[in-house]
Amino acid sequence: MTGLDALPPGASVRGRADGFNDYLVGPAARRRLITDRFIETFEAWGYGFMVTPLIEPLDTIAAGVGGAAQQSALFRFMDADGALLTLVGERTVSVARVVATQLHDGPFPLRLCYAGSVLRNQAPNAGRRRESLQAGCELVGAGGLAADAECIALAAAALERGGVEHIQVDVGHADFIPGLLDSAGLEPAAREEVLAALARRDLVAVESALDGTDAADAERRLLLAFPTLRGGREILDTAASGLRGERPHRALQELAQLWDLLDAHAITDRVHLDLGAVRDWDYYTGPTFEVFSVDSGFALGSGGRYDTLLSRFGTPLPATGFVLHVDRCHDSVVRRAGTQTTPVVLRVSWESDAHEEALELARALRHQGVACACDLVAGGDGDVRVTASGAHWSHRGHDEQGTVEAAVAAFVAGAS
Amino acid sequence: MKGLRVALPGGMLFDSACELLAAAGIARLDPARFDRELSIRSGDDVFVKVRPTDVPVYVEMGGCECGIVGKDVLWESSRECYELADLGFGRCRLVLAAPRDSALASGVWPQSLRVATKYPVSARRFFAARSLNVVVIRLHGSVELAPLTGLADCVLDITATGRTLAANNLVEIVEAGASTARLIANHAALKTRNEQVGAMAVALRRAAAARHTAGAA
Repeated sequence: MTGLDALPPGASVRGRADGFNDYLVGPAARRRLITDRFIETFEAWGYGFMVTPLIEPLDTIAAGVGGAAQQSALFRFMDADGALLTLVGERTVSVARVVATQLHDGPFPLRLCYAGSVLRNQAPNAGRRRESLQAGCELVGAGGLAADAECIALAAAALERGGVEHIQVDVGHADFIPGLLDSAGLEPAAREEVLAALARRDLVAVESALDGTDAADAERRLLLAFPTLRGGREILDTAASGLRGERPHRALQELAQLWDLLDAHAITDRVHLDLGAVRDWDYYTGPTFEVFSVDSGFALGSGGRYDTLLSRFGTPLPATGFVLHVDRCHDSVVRRAGTQTTPVVLRVSWESDAHEEALELARALRHQGVACACDLVAGGDGDVRVTASGAHWSHRGHDEQGTVEAAVAAFVAGAS
Repeated sequence: MKGLRVALPGGMLFDSACELLAAAGIARLDPARFDRELSIRSGDDVFVKVRPTDVPVYVEMGGCECGIVGKDVLWESSRECYELADLGFGRCRLVLAAPRDSALASGVWPQSLRVATKYPVSARRFFAARSLNVVVIRLHGSVELAPLTGLADCVLDITATGRTLAANNLVEIVEAGASTARLIANHAALKTRNEQVGAMAVALRRAAAARHTAGAA
């Protein structure tokens, strides 16, 4: 490794861009395994796997992703024709485009899933990924709460199948806080100020914004109780008392029905209702959720209902879905279980007159599901050494020998 | 139940943070002990002393569940943490200041401006709304020297009493923001450790309010 003194300032170091990762043999395999487990679970629930491109036209993405902050976090560039393109920052908008342009005739509901890289052009601060792997599901053309419950239960099932332990799902409603602000009768300016403060998670600013208004006690109490408006079904009754206005009441009723559906999915032991959930209000229109684990400082998955997105592509259809952050899940699994050893690969060596027998042994092992690599030159000292008359291998510290078939049998038994 | 890990800011806010934690009945920490130890356990909780600018990093990345840090550090940080409570101490202001005899001091805004500051992110955000050609010069200390030496036309800096500004012949032009210490928390900790984080927020908030009332009396 070259010391700093040996590098002239500004010298090009042939490295990686900040915020991007190489995954070497062990981690890459574990990460793929987690992704595979997610996709298997999605498919087991009837979600069809599909692939969308890494690059989309900027105006397609801009039509779907409303917030200026999200748009400014996109990598953008121009192609040879001068068209503005972006690297996708999430894939729900791409799926919406596909549904609107190619699957608009149904049959509905459509159950779709995907996995792929997403990119974020944010400051490459320590530890922040700019490329990450996301796996997600979209349930399109289903307006009822049963669809929301299915997505929440599926997200939980996939994470658990992927090896994430102690998950906790927080379920909220995108209409509750905006509805609460409506019924509090705030001036539009004050309303925007409170929403903006909530969105940037600044509860001190929420309080000072409310101080200058004549919000009634019930609403003020609820807004200030944020982020502790949280618990089981019982918090819905507490929240409803003294609340005016139809919008927040409807959100609470929907959450009550959703809770009963989640109970039917047998996952309410892992669910909290969270009325203060801060999500992107421009995008989500109904129930929203995030999944956490005590092993991670970040949400491992998130999703919700987005009934207006498809209409931005000319196909008004209700939809709900979610995304799982594979890299964060990988971090969480490693933090709990430690890095497991990389998969064992047997090395097959051979004497100069036994190359053919060695290749035959390797074929037999692979056929039985034992990973092995055959030496390329004779005379090596591998896990098993093949001679014209048979094979030598060591088993629990003892040297053994026998026929090629006996060697295969020994390793197949050892692998299982 | 596992305790919380709390990041405390070294420097100006440190002693007050320890006092407030004691007043809130959360932990009695001897500030001097942190000179010898990097982290101190109190009951189930663990307290670490880090550089103020590192507090949001520890909290966002999950190294600590909570932290105490000045709002001025949060302005400058791109870290996403929940800001749970205004703790009231460490009061200071971020102000734009210029030499007493400058045009700026007499209320005339020039077309272009060189601003020396330790707060480049805040400076860019502050000036983004104003149609001026601003060159932000990032320094790491003693920004008051920049106008004296002709390096910059003005400074954007933190002031508590205004004494340092006055001593360097600088006058306040405009306030960019007012800062106090805040309790911040990690997004996931707020969900997975909600009761513990909530209890800490309530206790600190109550202690800060009591101190405010006592101070006013």
